[in-house]
Amino acid sequence: MQTVISLRDIQVSQGDNFRLSVESLDLYPRQIYALTGPNGAGKSTLLRIMALLALPQQGSVRFAGGASSFAEQRKRVTLVEQSPYLFQGSVADNLAYGLKLRGIDGKEQRRRIELTLSIVGLEDFALRMAKELSGGEIQRVALARALVFKPELLLLDEPTANIDSKSLQAFEALLCRLPKYGVTVLFSTHDLSQSERLGAKLLRIENGRLLNEFPVAPESLPTYKRSCDAGRKP
Amino acid sequence: MSELADSLFTAVELILSFDREVRLTVWTSLYTSFSAIVFAALFGIPAGLWLGIKHFRGRRVVITLLNTLMALPTVVVGLVLFGLFSRQGPAGSLGLLFTPWAMIIGQMLLATPIVVNLVLSAVAGSDKRIMDTALTLGASHFQASVQLLKEIRFGVMAAVIAGFGRVIAEVGVAMMLGGNIRGLTRTMTTAIALETSKGEFAFALALGIVLLGVALIVNLFLNFLQQR
Repeated sequence: MQTVISLRDIQVSQGDNFRLSVESLDLYPRQIYALTGPNGAGKSTLLRIMALLALPQQGSVRFAGGASSFAEQRKRVTLVEQSPYLFQGSVADNLAYGLKLRGIDGKEQRRRIELTLSIVGLEDFALRMAKELSGGEIQRVALARALVFKPELLLLDEPTANIDSKSLQAFEALLCRLPKYGVTVLFSTHDLSQSERLGAKLLRIENGRLLNEFPVAPESLPTYKRSCDAGRKP
Repeated sequence: MSELADSLFTAVELILSFDREVRLTVWTSLYTSFSAIVFAALFGIPAGLWLGIKHFRGRRVVITLLNTLMALPTVVVGLVLFGLFSRQGPAGSLGLLFTPWAMIIGQMLLATPIVVNLVLSAVAGSDKRIMDTALTLGASHFQASVQLLKEIRFGVMAAVIAGFGRVIAEVGVAMMLGGNIRGLTRTMTTAIALETSKGEFAFALALGIVLLGVALIVNLFLNFLQQR
């Protein structure tokens, strides 16, 4: 099976300090992955490298489909930070940004913005100004902004760290549906039960080393995890 | 005291009657300073943006140099350019001395460090997530820089207005490179300085009032932008 992204022999250090080492990591299409590990273990560094926002001193990051320019590769992946930044202007302006960069405008742009906002439960938010939104709304707009151009790989840095329990359920239900649309998701979290609920493959990172990858035993998963699996292709 | 009051009355009369001489002088001031700030912005905004984003060896030295240039005495710029543009100077053949172009070039040199520095400050004070957000949404480095510029547009506009404030009120460059030629290079500041010494106090006072009005408008606008 072709991978979405493959990392080989990644080494990152800052001065004399060792930061990250990944011997080999392959992510496959239409899967959900959870990246866990203590604070400072290197989760965010790994996410930034996969998002092509930072370059490792050594090693390679390859996307499926062979070589294309760095800028083109970056258009296939996107990272939603723990506290995302929304550009000044309206919610629709924010969602339109990535679409414009991909040459999508006019009717198709409006259609996609409406559809994506309804997916994240913000139907009436298109004309709301970004600076008027609450923390949870900002998080959802940032997710919509990332989803609107259908990235192959969606990276989320502790996406549920700042949202309440009601929004959490809606958010997890949304994540469950993403593989169905062809999106591979990798999110970092401290909450192991969350990765279980989402049926995510676990990636553990400690002291900058990616340790292993293993699927979670299905019997350990709570009931609504099965509904998460229902929409996913085998 | 009554002489001053008379002069003030005459000055107000000159302004309200749109006196041709006053109009011409105000127009020369505005268009030379406006042209200078346009050129300063064309160079200063990208330069400030680049300095704010890029980290390279010697960056601190460049910033220190820019800080020094911000306080550049106007007569020193006038003196250097006078030497350059005078008939025996290296650029003498261009025939720029005592033309509006000489004033525009001099004022541009005065305004550019201000624009660069204030744009640099705006970039430094901006949210560090802006560039990465644009990049991760698929922008190239150039497109992300343009987005950053959009996000800090009020700071950039404030930089341009501060530069305009500096050149509209300066007298050294305009005097040394323009020569206060009536209808050609006579600006509000040079006219105020020279007409007063000729005893044309009311005329100078009229220009002083207009200059003060321009300075007030510039500062009000600057204040408005800084509060955004």
